[in-house]
Amino acid sequence: MSSSLINPVHVESTGGLSVWVRGIGATITGWPAAYRAALAKNRRRTILLTVLVATVLLYPLIYTAIPSGLTRILPLPSSPVIVFMLIFAIMAIGLNVVIGFAGLLDLGYVAFYALGAYTAAFLASPHWGGVSVVLFSNVPAGFPGIHLPFMFIILVAAAVAALFGALLGAPTLRLRGDYLAIVTLGFGEIVPIFFKNLVNVNFSFGPIQLVNANLTGGPLGINPIDAPGLFGIKFGVINGFAPVYLGMGLVLIAIVIARNLERSRMGRAWMAIREDEIAAEMMGVNTVRTKLLAFALGAAFAGVAGALQASYQGATTSDFFMFSTSILVVIMIILGGIGNIWGVIVGAVFVQYVDKTLLSWAGQRMADIGNATGLEQFGDINPSSFSFLLLGIALVVMMRFRPEGFIPSRQRAAEMHVAPPGQAIGSIGLIEEEGLVPELDPTEPGGDEDPEIAEVPGEEPVGETIAESRGEVTDEEQPR
Amino acid sequence: MDDQLLQTIIIGLSNGLIYALVALGYTLVYGILQLINFAHGDVFMLGSMIALTLLMMLGVTPGMDVTTTIALIVVVLLVTMAITALLNVSIERIAYRPLRNAPRLAPLISAIGMSFILQNVGLLWKGPASLGFGDVIPNTNVLTTIFGFDTAVELSLKQVFVAVVTIPLLLVLMGFVGKTRQGKAMRATAQDPDTAGLMGIDVNRTIAITFVIAGALAGAAGLVQILYNNTTVWNLGFRFGLNSFTSAVLGGIGNLQGAVLGGIVLGFINAFSDRYLSAQWTNAIVFGVLIAVLVFRPTGLLGQQVADRA
Repeated sequence: MSSSLINPVHVESTGGLSVWVRGIGATITGWPAAYRAALAKNRRRTILLTVLVATVLLYPLIYTAIPSGLTRILPLPSSPVIVFMLIFAIMAIGLNVVIGFAGLLDLGYVAFYALGAYTAAFLASPHWGGVSVVLFSNVPAGFPGIHLPFMFIILVAAAVAALFGALLGAPTLRLRGDYLAIVTLGFGEIVPIFFKNLVNVNFSFGPIQLVNANLTGGPLGINPIDAPGLFGIKFGVINGFAPVYLGMGLVLIAIVIARNLERSRMGRAWMAIREDEIAAEMMGVNTVRTKLLAFALGAAFAGVAGALQASYQGATTSDFFMFSTSILVVIMIILGGIGNIWGVIVGAVFVQYVDKTLLSWAGQRMADIGNATGLEQFGDINPSSFSFLLLGIALVVMMRFRPEGFIPSRQRAAEMHVAPPGQAIGSIGLIEEEGLVPELDPTEPGGDEDPEIAEVPGEEPVGETIAESRGEVTDEEQPR
Repeated sequence: MDDQLLQTIIIGLSNGLIYALVALGYTLVYGILQLINFAHGDVFMLGSMIALTLLMMLGVTPGMDVTTTIALIVVVLLVTMAITALLNVSIERIAYRPLRNAPRLAPLISAIGMSFILQNVGLLWKGPASLGFGDVIPNTNVLTTIFGFDTAVELSLKQVFVAVVTIPLLLVLMGFVGKTRQGKAMRATAQDPDTAGLMGIDVNRTIAITFVIAGALAGAAGLVQILYNNTTVWNLGFRFGLNSFTSAVLGGIGNLQGAVLGGIVLGFINAFSDRYLSAQWTNAIVFGVLIAVLVFRPTGLLGQQVADRA
C-alpha cells in the first residue's frame, strides 16, 4: 500500500512528543487530499487497493450472504478467526517494533500479551467480588467486582505492559543479541507461572495482609470478563461480526502509531542501532534509552492485544500464554517480512488463516473423501495437528532461501542477505564483531574489509541500497 | 548431616549430571558457532525415544539376567549415540551450514524451526501421550544393601547408573577437547574460524565433528533419561533443553567444565526448590536464576571466553 495513503505528511523530526502527536493528527486530517494525490499518481494501484479495503470492510456481509454450502468449497475464515487474525496483527506490529525496527530479539513477547489480558480481567470482571466499582460500563451498577470501560482498560493494559517491558529491559538491554533472546524467553515463561500460581497467597508485609488470597484465579483463570463495549455496542465473542470492526479499528490505530514511530527521530535511532550499535552510539544515540523505548512501546502493543483477546473471549487462563505463542508471532514477522508493517500484518493474517481455517477445512475435506470412498484412513488424518510442523519447515526453508520474508522492507532485505557491517564475514560470523572495531593491519595485504565486498559479487553494498530506498533518511540528524 | 538434605543433594546430583550431558551440547555448539541450538533439547528428546524403542526391540525387561541387561544397555547406548550424532550433524548440514554468512538472527530462527520439526517428528512417531518404561535397573538402595549403612537416605542403583554413564563420558569429552589434535582444532575454530582455516584446519569438518559429539552426548542423556526417570514425551525437549541451556549459561557458555558445574548446580536448584519450596515454582526459579546470572554475571560462574559478549 502506498505510504502516502497512511502517512501523507512527513513528520518533521525536530520536536519531541508534541510533534509526534501532531503528526498523527496530520495523518488523519490529510487523508482525503492524500487519496486524491495517490489516485493521480497511480490510478490502477489506488483503485485496486480501494477495492481490497472495501472487500475487507464488507467481508462480514459477504460472508453471511453466501450460502453455507459454499464454505465447503471455499475455506472462508469465520468471525472468531478474523478477530484472532487482527489480535495477532496488533502483536505482530508491536513485535516488529522490537525486532524489525530496533533489531532486539524478544522471544518472550507472550508475557506482555498475558499482562494485557490479565489487566483486562482484573479491571472488568467479578473477580474482585469484595468491591463494587462500576464506571461507564455495560454492566448494571452495584454489580460485584470492578467494571471499567474498555477504552480505559486498553490504555491501562498498554501502560502496564510498557511498564513491565521497561522493568525487564532496564537491566537486560545491555546484553547482546541472543543473550537478550534468552532473558526475554525466561521472562515469557515466568509471567504465566506467576499468573498460574498466585491463587492461595498468604502474605504479610506491614499493613498488607493476605490470607489465602486468590489473586489471579490460578489454573482456572478469570471469567467472565466483560465484553468490550463502545457507545453502547458490545463486541464480545457472541456478537457476530461486530468485534471484527473493533479489531480493525485497533489495528488501524496500531498501524498509524507504528508508521509514525518508524519515521520519527526515535525510529531512525532504532534503525541506526540495529545496523551498527557502536556507530550509533558514537553518533550520539542514547542506546540504552532508545532500546528501552523500543522494548516498552513494543510491549504496549501486546498489552492492547491481550486486553482485546481477554475481553473478546470473556475469559483468560495462564495456559493460553505459552512459548509457542511468542514463537508464533516471531514466525508471522519472519514470514511476512521483517521490518515492514504491511508484511507483518500479512504474515499474521496468513499464519492465523492457515492455522485456524485452512488446515481444519482440509481436515473436513479429508473426512469427506474418507466417507465418499469408504477409506477410513483419510478421515483419520488431521492436518491441524501438523500446523507447527509446517511452521517449523517454513522457518527453516525461509531462512535458507528468503530470509527477509515475503513482503520485506528493502533495508531489511539487504541486511538479511549481507552480514551487517561489523559482523565477521569469514566462514562463520563470530567473536570479533561484538563490541570491538576490527583492527586494520596495514601490513596485511587486502586488509579486513575486502572479503566483505568480495563475498557478495553482483550485490550492491548495504549502504547504497539503504540510501536508495530511503532518500529522506540519509541526511538524518542526530537524536539527542 | 540432615537426612533430608543429603537426599536432596543426591537427587540434585543425579539430575544435574543429565543436565550436564545436554548442556555440553549447547556449550560446544555455542562455543564454536555462537548459536543457541534450540533444536538440541529436541535431539535429546528423540534420543530418549530412540533408546526406548531399541530397549523394547531388544526385549530388555525388568528382572532380566544382570550381565545380559548390562550388555544390552551398552549396545543401546552406543546405537542411540550413533543415531543422534548422525541426526545432529544432518541438522547442522541442512539448517545451519547454509546460513554461516547470514546475520546472527537467521540461524537462530532456523534452529527454532528445526526444534518445531523435531518435536513434531516425536509427536507423529510416538503420539501425544507420555511414554513410560519399567525399572530395568532396580531401585535398590545401594547404601543399605551393599554398604550396609543404617540410614534412611536413599542412593538407588539407578542413581549409581547415572553416574557410571555420565561421568566417564564427561571425562572422555574433556580429554578429547583438551588433549587431542582434533580437540585443538575445535578450540582454534572456536577462537577464530578464519585464522583456523588459514592454518589448515578444515573448519566445516571441525564444526561437523562438534555436532557429532553434541548429538552423541544428547543421545546418551536420552538413554539415561529413559532408564532413570522412566519417561519421555514429545515436548520433553523444550523444558529440559531450557534447563540445560540455563546450566550452560550458568557455568559460562563456551566453557566445558562450566557446563558440567552449571548442570550440577541447576540440578541442585531444581531439587532444593522441589523439596523446600514448591514444585510449581521450580521453573520460575530456574528462569529467575538464568536472568539473574545473565544480568549480573553474563560470563557465568567459570566462563571468561565470551567476556566481550555482554
